[in-house]
Amino acid sequence: MNNIKIKSKNLNVYYGEKQALYDVNLDLNEKEVTALIGPSGCGKSTFIRCINRMNDVIDICKVTGNIEMDGIEINDKDLDVVSLRERVGMVFQKPNPFPKSIYDNVSYGPKIHGKGESKNELDEIVEHSLKKAALWEEVKDRLEEPGTSLSGGQQQRLCIARAISVNPEVILMDEPCSALDPIATAKIEELIDELKKTYTIVIVTHSMAQAVRVSQKTGFFHLGKLIEVGKTEKIFKNPDNKMTQDYITGRFG
Amino acid sequence: MNFVLIFLITIFSLSLFFYGRSKTKSISIEKNIKLKALPKFYGYYLVLWCSIPALVFLLVWSLFEPIIIKTIIIETAANQGAIFDDKNEANLIYEKIKAIHLGTYFGDIDLILKESALSYAKFINLFTNSKVVLIFGIIISSVIYALNKIKNNNKARDDVERILKGLLFVSSLIAILTTLGIIFSLLFESIKFFSVINVFDYLFGTNWSPQRAFVRDASSITAEEYEDLKDAFGFIPLIAGTSFIAFIAMLVAVPVGLFSGIYMAEYASSKVRKFSKPIIEILAGIPTVVYGFFAALTVGPFFRQFGESLGLTVSSESALAAGLIMGIMIIPYVSSLSDDVINSVPQSLRDGSYAVGATKSETIKQVVIPAALPGIIGSVLLAVSRAIGETMIVVMAAGLAANLTINPLESTTTITTQIVMILVGDQEFDSPKTQSAFALGLTLFIATLILNYIAQRAVKKYREKYD
Repeated sequence: MNNIKIKSKNLNVYYGEKQALYDVNLDLNEKEVTALIGPSGCGKSTFIRCINRMNDVIDICKVTGNIEMDGIEINDKDLDVVSLRERVGMVFQKPNPFPKSIYDNVSYGPKIHGKGESKNELDEIVEHSLKKAALWEEVKDRLEEPGTSLSGGQQQRLCIARAISVNPEVILMDEPCSALDPIATAKIEELIDELKKTYTIVIVTHSMAQAVRVSQKTGFFHLGKLIEVGKTEKIFKNPDNKMTQDYITGRFG
Repeated sequence: MNFVLIFLITIFSLSLFFYGRSKTKSISIEKNIKLKALPKFYGYYLVLWCSIPALVFLLVWSLFEPIIIKTIIIETAANQGAIFDDKNEANLIYEKIKAIHLGTYFGDIDLILKESALSYAKFINLFTNSKVVLIFGIIISSVIYALNKIKNNNKARDDVERILKGLLFVSSLIAILTTLGIIFSLLFESIKFFSVINVFDYLFGTNWSPQRAFVRDASSITAEEYEDLKDAFGFIPLIAGTSFIAFIAMLVAVPVGLFSGIYMAEYASSKVRKFSKPIIEILAGIPTVVYGFFAALTVGPFFRQFGESLGLTVSSESALAAGLIMGIMIIPYVSSLSDDVINSVPQSLRDGSYAVGATKSETIKQVVIPAALPGIIGSVLLAVSRAIGETMIVVMAAGLAANLTINPLESTTTITTQIVMILVGDQEFDSPKTQSAFALGLTLFIATLILNYIAQRAVKKYREKYD
């Protein structure tokens, strides 16, 4: 059993009047993949956006309760959000490379954090990140081309490389494969398997099969509540909760 | 008379709408047949048939009636012994006859003119009466035709569609023809100008003083006279003045407009946006002549006093005052256009940037602005073409002397100001001085056309990327 990296206690999220999360208590283990499943609008994405405080971007969003990473309170308004996000990277549902070159897409993060003073260092970071994202072989000869010229799957791996480039400890993935075809999906899943050796990964997915394939731990959300959480094997083979059973067998959702 | 006719036609066709609608309804019930279109289409059909032919006829008649009457009157006057040498004198006599008819002529009235005036009155009467008769004839025959069609249960819907399509086509045709007309009128007058003044003398001359060519017949200029005229129409000082003032305007408008656009799009809460955006847009609604007052009466003198207190010579009509006010006028264009482009940069790009730990200003500087750049450039170019074409502010605040200077405190002039100066008042239309206005207009038109084209290309390129 790995150490607990992130721990949420009685986490509530409100969008204006509407409550999106109810008292979520969820522990995420270090260097492990945790999958979050559940029907659309159940709060999975809202939950992972609490981990890197992306909800700050939304004016009407209010978060109460606790969420700790390595014992430090994330949901503290005096926390330095910039350095938090340096430690917690994120990959989005739709590939969103910047309209810049492949190289600039990856070097963007290190540059703004003042990493890679010299061109050489920066080159190294870019190469390292692209290799980790299993994209290096495909793009090493065309780093100056715009990131948007890549295929969808390559773009998503570029976004993973961008997330890796600042050397985070946690990577959040919000349905990273929902816009990709099966082959590109398989590549990303393979990559996730590789990445979990270094990073703590949280993945939101709508694909039960994907959750089974990539994760060690699974949490099932419904209507803003965490219904059940446990080892992936157990959740899918022998869940305690009737609702979980119904969802994974496709009776609703 | 015409208004009464138009009013009658309108009333009549509107009542036909209701008639046609109820009539077809009752026919379909009576004979128990299925109509080929909704009853209201038969109403529309009658309205269109009743109004369009009559209105078109009225328009054509009103266009040609004065010309025909004039020809007839002049001819009869000539037959009665009125003497005139050329067209201008004939026109004069015709105007006299009209004035006598209206009772507004207070000179000696000779017999011939008096008789002509009587026959003029007769013709006017005759034409008006026949106009009314013909229009009613047209209305009656076209309505009978349309009613017949309706009785046979025609496909009124298709016919209405076809007529409407024709109307829309004619409207766009009018717009296109007007554009062409403007271009050609500019072109022909400019060609006249360039047949006297060499294109290169115009484009590269450094002296602009068209008053030198005030009264001179363009068709008979000798080589000597041309030597004198050659350097009266130098374009360089005008384009320099225009670009200079536009440059000062952009120095004001681009930073202020762009920054306020960024603030509105990225920082302002929806509350602030709601009341501040309309206020900025009010700036765009102020008539330019009001900006002109402000520039000429407030800002210009202020600069002069301020400059004098520093020991500088400042002309009260300065490029600086005009450019500054023009810049303020343009701010809303830059700000609301760049606000729009920045808003249409997808949120996912911002999220991607925040997610690697970038701050808001880093995100704006390195992701949002580069992504929106083509659109921003487009909005700036549109603003430049407004600045170049702006007239009133520079007429009032920039001065008239064509100085070739880069001192913003001196007065300078622009293309548009000179066009106004040349064409104000009565002008001899075959003097090179007057024609030069058209050459200036053409040059200005081409310049803004090119700018607009580039701007639209830039905006389009941007759209393709994110839609």
